[in-house]
Amino acid sequence: MNYIKLYFTCIKRSIISRLEYKKDLFIASFSFLFSNLCALLSIFFILQAIPSLEGYSLWEIGFFYGFSMIPISLDHLFSDEFWLVAYRRVKEGDMDMYFLRPVPVMFQVFAENFQPEGFGEMILGTALIVVCSFNITFALSFGTILMMVVASIFGAIIITSLKIIFASFAFVFKSSGPLLQIIYNFTNYAKYPLKIYPEFIRFILIFLLPFGLFISLPVDTLLRGTYNPYLLSVGIVVVASLFFALAVRIWTLCIQKYESTGS
Amino acid sequence: MLKRYKPFLRANAMDLLAYRFNMIVWLLVTLLQAATLVFLWVSVYRSAPGGIDAVINGFTYKEVIVYTVFTTIFTFVTFNSETLWLINSDIRKGTIGNYLIKPISYRGKFIASSLGGYLTMMVMFGLPLFTISYVVFGLVGFIAIPTWYDLVFHVFLFLIGQTLAVLLNDVISYIFGLLCFYTSSGWGLNQLRATLISFLSGTLLPLAFFPPVFKTIVNLLPFAGLSQNPVLILLMKYDYLMSLKVLGLALGWLIILELFAKLLFRHAIKKITVQGG
Repeated sequence: MNYIKLYFTCIKRSIISRLEYKKDLFIASFSFLFSNLCALLSIFFILQAIPSLEGYSLWEIGFFYGFSMIPISLDHLFSDEFWLVAYRRVKEGDMDMYFLRPVPVMFQVFAENFQPEGFGEMILGTALIVVCSFNITFALSFGTILMMVVASIFGAIIITSLKIIFASFAFVFKSSGPLLQIIYNFTNYAKYPLKIYPEFIRFILIFLLPFGLFISLPVDTLLRGTYNPYLLSVGIVVVASLFFALAVRIWTLCIQKYESTGS
Repeated sequence: MLKRYKPFLRANAMDLLAYRFNMIVWLLVTLLQAATLVFLWVSVYRSAPGGIDAVINGFTYKEVIVYTVFTTIFTFVTFNSETLWLINSDIRKGTIGNYLIKPISYRGKFIASSLGGYLTMMVMFGLPLFTISYVVFGLVGFIAIPTWYDLVFHVFLFLIGQTLAVLLNDVISYIFGLLCFYTSSGWGLNQLRATLISFLSGTLLPLAFFPPVFKTIVNLLPFAGLSQNPVLILLMKYDYLMSLKVLGLALGWLIILELFAKLLFRHAIKKITVQGG
């Protein structure tokens, strides 16, 4: 209970300090929106030349893209600070302060930062989903709705876990930013149906870096009824739990390797 | 006169050499991104009404794949301008004062380091990667084998185009960097710059795929010279006349943008307040 209170106190501080620079927040949010719009336009221009992509209409591809933004934005809201751990915090010795406080280090990293830009992403994703769903037909049932909600929340947990795992390596190697970037960029692959990839990429996207498991497969299930939504939901929850447990384990192991810069 | 800037050129060249390992990791990031695009393109052509051998907007699937790989290498080699970040940190730390009192131009310093970085990247990554890709694509029949003099002339024109691309990229980065005088959101400005460039330069997709009117306009903007045009010169999609035209356009824009940057600098420099230091 105390931790929840502490979390909100820290987050409030982070938001207040962000709002201090309103113009910056606006530029950051706008640039974010702009880059998503350009990415969407590019896909739109490419797909305009053909009637459908491997049997998926333009609107269905848009739906994939829109849905991918939901778990990604949830992760973005809460765990952005891990990027800084991977790129800078360890290398520059900034982590010292966390070790001096009587609260777990991982908790403090989560509580350090709240990225309101994530809301922009979430709104854009939702808008895209709504617009696209007017132009396609799919069967909404309790099962599929449950599956989409589970995929959003537990998908975000999987992304965050992967982020923690690869940020942990910074404690060992001083900086792991580019490595984390490589892993994170695989989320781009999951913005399309898995059908466009060769077998081995599909394998990676379902079993190793399971972005496809909680983006492509659920959307496929919603649009085409490919899998059983309940089984898929259970699968996502199990994988998310495993990844999170693994992330905590690796973080605890790696954090013992931390050495201050001595400055 | 130019000798004054040589240390900056050398420094950045050495810097990139020292961080070889980082650059290799970044190469991996870039290649993985290009791979998504290649898979997408293959899918697109497979789904085309005319089948995989269809010609869409003047490109066959082989040409689009070659184009994607080459623009990826091209941007990796030329888009290394740190200018925006350096200006941002000069303003934040107040170190900009150090440059204002020295008898060198602030702009000249960046041009020199940009060219230095480009030379290192070109020798370390560009030449080997371009050569390997060209040979491999030639062997599997994705690139038609040209006559030797056509190849030599196109490579020559391509190198001019690439140098212009480096300079154009740097001046755009510089202009966005100067905007850091007015806001402290360097991250947002950089994101805007990167998006604008990757979208309008034809890095993500050839500009031929843009809708008709939009395409004409974008082809006249400076961005096309940043990656699409030099690559299309190398791939011989442009004949000599067209190549000279796009190179002229790039040069024209370079002059206009440098002049604009000069005016902007004059205005921006009045905004600066350096806190002691």
